[in-house]
Amino acid sequence: MTQPAVQPGKPGARNRVAAHPYISAAITILIVADIFFALYVPLYARATPKVGDFPFFYFYLLIYMPATGIVLWIVYLLQRRLLPAAPAAGSTSEEAR
Amino acid sequence: MNHVNAVTFTIVVILFLLVTCVGFAAARWRRAEDMMHLNEWGLGGRGFGTFVGWFLLGGDLYTAYTFIAVPSAVFLTGAVSGFFAVSYTIMVFPIALIFLPRLWSIARVHNYVTPADFIRGRYGSRGLSLAMAFTGILALMPYIALQLVGIQAVLTVMGVGTSSNNTFIKDLPLFAAFLVLAVFTYVSGLRAPALIAFIKDILVYVMIIVAIFYIPTRLGGFGHIFGVAETHMKTVNPKTGKPTGVFIPTTGNSQLAFATLALGSAAALFIYPHTITGALSTRRRAVVKRNMALLPLYSVVLGLIALLGYMALTDKVTAANVKKAGGNAQLAVPYLFQHMFPSWFTGIAFSAIVIGALVPAAIMAIAAANLFTRNIFKEFVKPDASPRLETKVSQWGSLVIKTGALLFAIELPRTFSINLQLLGGIWVLQVFPALVFGLFTRWFHRWALLAGWAAGMIFGTIAAYKVATPTTSHWAGSTDIEFGHTVYIGLTAVLLNIAISVVLTVILKLTKVPGGADETLPHQYTADGEVAEAPAPAGVGLGAAGAGAVGDLQPLRGAKCASGPTGRGQMRQRPRDAPATGW
Repeated sequence: MTQPAVQPGKPGARNRVAAHPYISAAITILIVADIFFALYVPLYARATPKVGDFPFFYFYLLIYMPATGIVLWIVYLLQRRLLPAAPAAGSTSEEAR
Repeated sequence: MNHVNAVTFTIVVILFLLVTCVGFAAARWRRAEDMMHLNEWGLGGRGFGTFVGWFLLGGDLYTAYTFIAVPSAVFLTGAVSGFFAVSYTIMVFPIALIFLPRLWSIARVHNYVTPADFIRGRYGSRGLSLAMAFTGILALMPYIALQLVGIQAVLTVMGVGTSSNNTFIKDLPLFAAFLVLAVFTYVSGLRAPALIAFIKDILVYVMIIVAIFYIPTRLGGFGHIFGVAETHMKTVNPKTGKPTGVFIPTTGNSQLAFATLALGSAAALFIYPHTITGALSTRRRAVVKRNMALLPLYSVVLGLIALLGYMALTDKVTAANVKKAGGNAQLAVPYLFQHMFPSWFTGIAFSAIVIGALVPAAIMAIAAANLFTRNIFKEFVKPDASPRLETKVSQWGSLVIKTGALLFAIELPRTFSINLQLLGGIWVLQVFPALVFGLFTRWFHRWALLAGWAAGMIFGTIAAYKVATPTTSHWAGSTDIEFGHTVYIGLTAVLLNIAISVVLTVILKLTKVPGGADETLPHQYTADGEVAEAPAPAGVGLGAAGAGAVGDLQPLRGAKCASGPTGRGQMRQRPRDAPATGW
């Protein structure tokens, strides 16, 4: 449907990853850890230690939810740092129309 | 069995009428020049910012499944088949953050409305695209039905229409609610659920905060509630000779079931067409990303709602009421509210559930209708359909789909609701390889993906059909035993799907079968429509430049003054179908 002309030298996703290896690694670790600590049930399938009246299992999952929000917000901020400082002006406007 | 409480009933009716008015008025909200375009009717103008997007996606993701089915499963069997939903909604967001922004970008660049549009463009395959559209519609049907079942549960406890044995009279209130839903969706498209979502989310928050602080004080605190639940789940059921449920999954098998159910459902959620519709209606790529971080705030509520199941178990009156109603656990939460709250607040809580079911039902119907229009009607019946005709077809399609869901809801056994959703999940997961892998690589061959999809669908459906318990002979659950482990069927099916796709891709590549054209380009997967467009009008249109700077607060203002000039400049920059088919 849309066949845009040759793109001006815009850094692709891969280049950006290569240019910021530490940030990219941090993003990957955060996302993988966020999934892993919910997925690996043996880690938290315990009744003790009780937190207040809550068995550990229930407390863990309930507190995990806002924690995920915070982790993913950090990921979002880190991803913003991967972007070139000035938005690549005009590079996507042709095909976006 | 119980008579209608006048106060509760009046409040529900008033709030329902309010929502109806908002639903119709939504047609005028952020009004575009030409509403007869799928970008408008089906995607609300593709201009929602973080704030509106949060309410819309929150209203879209948390459905009657959350409010009725999850607590009822917790009530019945505890952690594995119910509380896994909390773990599931935790994993949804990191998983979606991996692929959803890419889908958003490519859909914006190529003006895709449905996920099947993307499949079509990526693989150049009408067959694969048709398979994806078919799966999406199929999976949405039981999901919409589940919403209607949720509404039905509330109506039953309210005592509305239960006095008659005649199916038609009994379900008359449901028909009424359904009709209203159908008409405002037809008129306003996605704008209606987007605006109603504000009311829904506020009601849900109020309901759950009051419930979570107030009900435990009446029931002797959380310590007592968990104690009762634990004892109950360990009690051996005389019918099956096994414990009633699982309070904490400590055995390897229950942990595996818990984890696979959560992972499978999490992978499925953001490939459901209705959640993609919600995501594609946002204005910028960053809006999607931000919402992946902000939506877990909403999920906290889900965790608390799930605990309502244990509270219902602890409250003897509620437990007795459920037993009296033939053991229909879906009534647990409505009965709990009715018994615990004063009648006026019961009215508010019931409205929250009913409206909470209407919002996603509307979005699902829109998503299914868009799939039909774009990937079946336009693809196979009338390739030169104008945007106006497309919108008309979608409007009527949404009515047909809702009618189908209504039949689903009335015909199927009532105790089926959580399984309805899980069955939909099993089906929709089969889209995962083509859609999500397709966002990252073009390595897979289209015919291999099609074969994998077919295998996954057949295997999943048969496996789900064969699941039996001592009380139910078929469709009794969504986990089965593979190689001695209890695993979510959807996950097994999709692994089979992937394996077949990989093997066949290798074979097809070796035999050099044409792989089809790919109309997408690598950099388009990270494109951000709005950012790129901003510089152009900056020097010209003051309104547009200002709007760009205000960024995400813009929709707020757009919401308040529907015809305000500031919002418009930005809306008009929205990408449209490039080869404008004249009408």
